[in-house]
Amino acid sequence: MSAVSIPASPLERGTKKARVIVWIVLAVGLVWTLVPLLWMFTSSFKNDQDVTSADPKVLFAPTLDNYTGLFTGANNLTPYLWHSIVAAGLSAFLAVAIGALAGYGLARTQMRGKKHLSFWIISTRMAPIAAVVLPLFLIFRQLGLIDSIPGLVLAYLTFDLPFAIWLMSAFFADLPPSLEESALVAGCSRWQAFWQVILPLTKSGLVTTFVLCLVFAWNDYAFALVFSGPNSQTLPIAASQLVTQTGIDWGQLCAIGTFVVVPMMLAGLAVRRWLVTGLTLGAVTGE
Amino acid sequence: MATLTKAPQHAATPPPAKPKKPLLAFEGKLLAPGVILLAALSILPFIAILVMSVSRIRLLGGVAVGFVGLENWARFFTDPDLAANWLRTAVFFLLTLGLEMLFGVGLAICLWRLLKGRNAVLSLLLLPMFVAPVIVGLLGRFLTDSTFGLYTAVLRTLGYEGDILGGKYSAFAAVVFMDVWEWTPLITLITLAGLSSVPLSIREAASLDGAGTWKSLRHIVLPSIANVLLVALLIRSMDAIRYFDIIWVTTNGGPADATKVVPVRLYETAFRFFDLGYAAAIGLVMLAASIVIARVFVRLLDQKGLTR
Repeated sequence: MSAVSIPASPLERGTKKARVIVWIVLAVGLVWTLVPLLWMFTSSFKNDQDVTSADPKVLFAPTLDNYTGLFTGANNLTPYLWHSIVAAGLSAFLAVAIGALAGYGLARTQMRGKKHLSFWIISTRMAPIAAVVLPLFLIFRQLGLIDSIPGLVLAYLTFDLPFAIWLMSAFFADLPPSLEESALVAGCSRWQAFWQVILPLTKSGLVTTFVLCLVFAWNDYAFALVFSGPNSQTLPIAASQLVTQTGIDWGQLCAIGTFVVVPMMLAGLAVRRWLVTGLTLGAVTGE
Repeated sequence: MATLTKAPQHAATPPPAKPKKPLLAFEGKLLAPGVILLAALSILPFIAILVMSVSRIRLLGGVAVGFVGLENWARFFTDPDLAANWLRTAVFFLLTLGLEMLFGVGLAICLWRLLKGRNAVLSLLLLPMFVAPVIVGLLGRFLTDSTFGLYTAVLRTLGYEGDILGGKYSAFAAVVFMDVWEWTPLITLITLAGLSSVPLSIREAASLDGAGTWKSLRHIVLPSIANVLLVALLIRSMDAIRYFDIIWVTTNGGPADATKVVPVRLYETAFRFFDLGYAAAIGLVMLAASIVIARVFVRLLDQKGLTR
């Protein structure tokens, strides 16, 4: 009521009843969101009996067996982990490197047919996975790229690259062209203006693009399912095989799930400020 | 040393008159590697899938492609199962999108009204988005396991006895809710960004007029974020139409085809029965459907002046 109140929106104060409703909705939302994750996390520290107990156990004696099991014995994950890191990391890196160049070109070019070019780029990102996997499978088979890390990197680039081009061009378009113009006047070449002036200004864009590309590739299942074999299987495939081959060891499955999920959550939250721009391909700018 | 001497020289050569021509070439050069690689990764597969859709493909002893004309397409239009798959995809599409929009916008409005702790709560709510869909599926199986699943136990106390992933309707509901769990946060995030950019004056005008919370939401706030909601809807629809991972690891399309959406059918046709030609025909139609949605998407962005 007073004029010195916090300059937030008046709606945010609201009546008492409204505030109670807000908290109830958020509490329900948090429970709905977090219970599966917490259950997976806690179950990863349970022994077999507690995991498969008919009445769910909240209190239990924690054990690290499931985690040590991931790196020793028959289900050793180390090679899968390595494949995941290399394939996802390399495709995200290549996507950002090539995507930053092309994104800048796209943001600044005045060429005719620019609209068609950008539509084509975005449409390759939105193509159904299955419709891409199918012909690539045949092509990769001919080229001997099945069950190889380069094959997987190329497959991931089919969705990471168009995403990176489009997103980087959104970040570049936010920078006024006068920046390069003054760099050119100061004696820079176009390349120097791009490399030394513009690129450093969009560090946040580069990092966001890299993280999102990494998450997409790291989380991929469909491509890896078709293209990978013993020499290139990734963590999501390893997780799904834990179910089909050795009977279901849920404790270990929860451990591998935690292992796959936590790094991506941390990476995603680290770029949260730019997530809206990223996930809407720049169509909605964040706060 | 070399760059040091070269740079000023280069800058000195073109007089500061009109550097228009080289500008264009420079952008083209930067675009080239990306466009060439993307072309290789998308045009070649597109041609391949076109050829595949009119062929019979054998994989044993090297790839052999034999032209069969419109056989696959004739089958496409007379396949009663496929029609059911498409119908199921449409229902799935409407249900997931509808629930995600409803929950997502609801949560966003509540978050928006929060003065303290908004960022902390938002961060927690966003977590499912980063979970690999396979893990969502496997976790879903764990939670709904008929003997020890947490959600099975919860439902049992509420009086529901039954194998969740074993029943036709419950399995469908389960895969819908797994997708809703994973992607509602995206709608919340985008909507909240839209709400935060509604000018303060509009919101103030709304509430000082004595308009009730609900009224001001409906008539002032929601219309002013309509564009943002549309973008959120389209982004999600692109993904919902190709939804695959979760179903593949939970129900595999079953029980009795209850969760067999088009992408699952396609995958099965191609990589279980190795009928690649027919799968290609299905894939091409999916591609066409998604291009239509992408067109709408880009046109809308264009209208709002959001593309470059």
